[in-house]
Amino acid sequence: MKNRIGVYICHCGSNISDYVDVEKVKEIAGKEDSVVLSKTTMFACSDSVQKEIIDDIKEQKLDAIVVASCSPKLHLFTFRNVAQRAGLNPYNYIQVNVREQCSWAHSDNPPKATEKAIKLVKAGIEKAKHSQPLTPISIPSNNAVLVVGAGIAGMRAAIELAEMGTEVFLIEREYFVGGRASQWNELFSTNETGREVVSRLYNKIIKTNNITLFTGADIDSKSGGVGNFDIKIKIKPRHIKPNCKLDLENFKKAVEACPVDFDDPFNFNLTKQKAIYKNYPSEFPEIPAIDFDHCTKCGKCVKICSEIDLDQKEEIINVNVGAILLTTGSSPYEPEISEFGYKEIDNVITLQQLKRLIELREGELIYQGKKIKNVAFIYCVGSRQVLGENKYCSRYCCTSAIHTAIMLKEKYKGINNFHFTRGVRTYGKQEILYNKSSKQGDIFLQSFADSPAEVYNEKGQTFVKIKDVLTTDKQLEVKADLVVLVTGMVPRENNSINNILKVPIGRDKFYNEIHPKLRPVETVIDGVLIAGSCQAPLNITESVKSSLSAAAKVNSLISKGEIELEPTLAQIDKLLCEWCDKCTSVCPYSAIEKKEVNGKVIAEVNEANCKGCGICLPVCPTNAIQLIGYTDVEIESMIDALID
Amino acid sequence: MAQINPDFAKELKEYGALDFNACYNCGNCTAVCSLSDKDNSFPRKMIRLSVLGLEDELQTSLDPWLCYYCGECSETCPQNTDPGELMMSLRRYLTSKYDWTGLAGKLYTSKVWEFGSIIFLAAVILVLFIFFHGPMTTELTAEGGVKLNTFAPWKQVEIGDWIMAGLLSFFLLSNIFNMYLKIIGRRKEIKIPLKLYFKEFWKVILHFATQLQFSKCNTQISNKKFELSTYWIIHLFLMTSYVIMFILIVVFLGWFQTDNIYAWWHPQRLLGYYATIGLTVGVIYFFISRLKKSQEKTKHTHVTDWTFLVLLFLSTITGILVHIFRIYGMPYPTYYMYVFHLMVLFPMLMIEVPFSKWSHLAYRPFAIYFNNVISAAKKIKK
Repeated sequence: MKNRIGVYICHCGSNISDYVDVEKVKEIAGKEDSVVLSKTTMFACSDSVQKEIIDDIKEQKLDAIVVASCSPKLHLFTFRNVAQRAGLNPYNYIQVNVREQCSWAHSDNPPKATEKAIKLVKAGIEKAKHSQPLTPISIPSNNAVLVVGAGIAGMRAAIELAEMGTEVFLIEREYFVGGRASQWNELFSTNETGREVVSRLYNKIIKTNNITLFTGADIDSKSGGVGNFDIKIKIKPRHIKPNCKLDLENFKKAVEACPVDFDDPFNFNLTKQKAIYKNYPSEFPEIPAIDFDHCTKCGKCVKICSEIDLDQKEEIINVNVGAILLTTGSSPYEPEISEFGYKEIDNVITLQQLKRLIELREGELIYQGKKIKNVAFIYCVGSRQVLGENKYCSRYCCTSAIHTAIMLKEKYKGINNFHFTRGVRTYGKQEILYNKSSKQGDIFLQSFADSPAEVYNEKGQTFVKIKDVLTTDKQLEVKADLVVLVTGMVPRENNSINNILKVPIGRDKFYNEIHPKLRPVETVIDGVLIAGSCQAPLNITESVKSSLSAAAKVNSLISKGEIELEPTLAQIDKLLCEWCDKCTSVCPYSAIEKKEVNGKVIAEVNEANCKGCGICLPVCPTNAIQLIGYTDVEIESMIDALID
Repeated sequence: MAQINPDFAKELKEYGALDFNACYNCGNCTAVCSLSDKDNSFPRKMIRLSVLGLEDELQTSLDPWLCYYCGECSETCPQNTDPGELMMSLRRYLTSKYDWTGLAGKLYTSKVWEFGSIIFLAAVILVLFIFFHGPMTTELTAEGGVKLNTFAPWKQVEIGDWIMAGLLSFFLLSNIFNMYLKIIGRRKEIKIPLKLYFKEFWKVILHFATQLQFSKCNTQISNKKFELSTYWIIHLFLMTSYVIMFILIVVFLGWFQTDNIYAWWHPQRLLGYYATIGLTVGVIYFFISRLKKSQEKTKHTHVTDWTFLVLLFLSTITGILVHIFRIYGMPYPTYYMYVFHLMVLFPMLMIEVPFSKWSHLAYRPFAIYFNNVISAAKKIKK
């Protein structure tokens, strides 16, 4: 019990004192037990008052202080520092909010505001009496990181982290690295190809010592917490011997021999692929892979190439890391059947398919046996939805569609582009592309969300019509040889990762950061960070920026060898606990584990994972759990003071 | 439903349109244009219709004729689409579409046609003179002038004049009738009482004589105001000179092409001097402003603009020289210059009046007339 308490009532200029009678509050507080000092101050947070409090603590030998001022969100740490500088434990400082909760909220009724302030201050004094000195918890951290997803964002972050001295485990679910970028030929703004960018990053990765890359790999399970995650990684076999010296001739023959034929996801089903494959010749890692979901194990390829091994088994490996960085990326939105004629009218494709088509077709642009002249782009498909959940703008698609339209005109003769937009958003430097396309004669039409463009077929000819707001709402139509749906971004399907890591997901299905402006790459799960387009629709430039900021954040978190955590955590009384499993089932952070201590099975809190949320307290049937800093004694004494 | 025609842009560019595709519909041109009102957005509507290639709507529109190219839209356009020049090229395009023979389009878009027909018509004149000219006498009149009417008797030349005037009127009037069909004939929703056509007709004459519509292109910038009014005065001077000269040679040739040498104050000489001064000053002014590109409207010059100016200039100069040679008694120079004068004059009138630049003098007043008839009819309907 603290019995030399100092109380300070802040005017906050006139923010508080205009409505709360601070003198009255001071007087009543001064009469409370154990209070040895009660003062009003003009600005408690000012340097001079901070110094005065420090002097008071030293001279009056105060063992706890209460400041009644603004919200602790603003100045909790200011006054904790004051306490610390005066040699007092920072947790013996209690802040009472009489501005947001009294003067501002009840400016219409000053006497009641004063009454409420008195009660809150009394409760604060009670809490101060029972406050315990606490010290922050320090846990050791392993300077190693697991980067999930070897797309551009993941690879770039891995390189940066390795260069800062962090051990990196980079895992990729596919057999090859590069993610979406490897599917794109020329990229907008720089016109280098996605593959060039991927190759450059890959070559850097294999030359960097402290990056270990696993392809065909996924997280199998996780235990532990920030600083000390134990991760099991599941690695799918490639079915090609690891030290295979690639013989192109043999590989080609093996591909020819493979009897399986299925839609090639790399080309968005425009072509067929074999079970043994590489998506493109310069793909990394250089060794091909066999897709076992489609392989019939006929053995024909084994007869051609002795390096093929159909008996390879799945492997599980363990890694210990201090943090996890998710760069799992995004997928193109898959339109619903018959959305703008998709999969109903033959010549309706997505922008991503068109980009693959441009790469596959030299000389003439032919689709479904027909030469393409008029191309109609329909914008915002799967983005800015009125009815669906994808309310967001996917950011990259306007620019990408326009860049593709420019490429079409450069590569093929006689192309006419028609852009059915809902307003063009080629923001920033990308505006140059819009200018280029309109100067080359592309026609832009615009409608609002309530009257989207319509695609229909009449006598074997496809038309797109629109009520064009740029032509006084006139109904216009275009004969289109190809309709291109400019589809937005959705996050990749990551159900297993989501179940294991429990990273919060927004309504838009992207991962949620703590704060979009101030903490943009951290999640509420300590030690799990996010970057790139798994978090929000981003283009490559923006993805790399976010991955670099995440890399810096990871490094600053785990590279010091230890991590300091708030001591306000759940604590379990070993004698009272009867292990009923109720607390583990409600804990949202997987912070409570079953443990045997001296022959008794009890629950134990993993300090690194516990966030001090308190959700386990009310479910405990034996009241074995206390929340440090908010113990039953403290809270009950506060309630007594409030109802007194 | 209107169908977009992306190939139209290419066609319009042959008539002189520039980068109008780059329009991003900001509306600055409409904000600055003094012809815009709440029902009609000049010149943005025309730009949009041109981008989309909606030819039907363009051909039924009168807007291009109401614009006198002050050029403020081109100065204001952030995308450098040059709306003023687009309106200019639309006038050329419309001239071609009103012309049912299809010659206007060919003359505007093909240099071979343009210069080929000039040379052909000049050759016709030359051949006619080679075979049918009168005696080339060196004998002078009592006053010392050349006997031009012996070499080229006015009565015979006048027959040619009447044939030419007949052809010009036939083509020009039939083109105007075609314009009427496109403008009023296609507006089936409006019923126009016959009375209105007569009631409004005086506007054709008024606007032909004065180009009053020019004053609607008012500007807030004072030095531009001066520039525009100078342009209007000189254009008016040029045009009245042209009309006087045309009447003199077609209707009063016997009086005008005389062997007599009158005193300087005689109306025959005064009218002739007024017209030649007007033509010379006008042509030189337009030459200089097109060469200097000092005004927005003279920045871009289509090849047919130069052709018109050069032909007009040559006609004037040769006419002046014929006059000088005649009164100073120089027979051969007079005869040769007279033939050359007609070799320039005839192609200029035959090509420019019904098929090219000159025709805007007719289409503009008719456009205002049709516009007034339509809006009067709409008022009655209400």
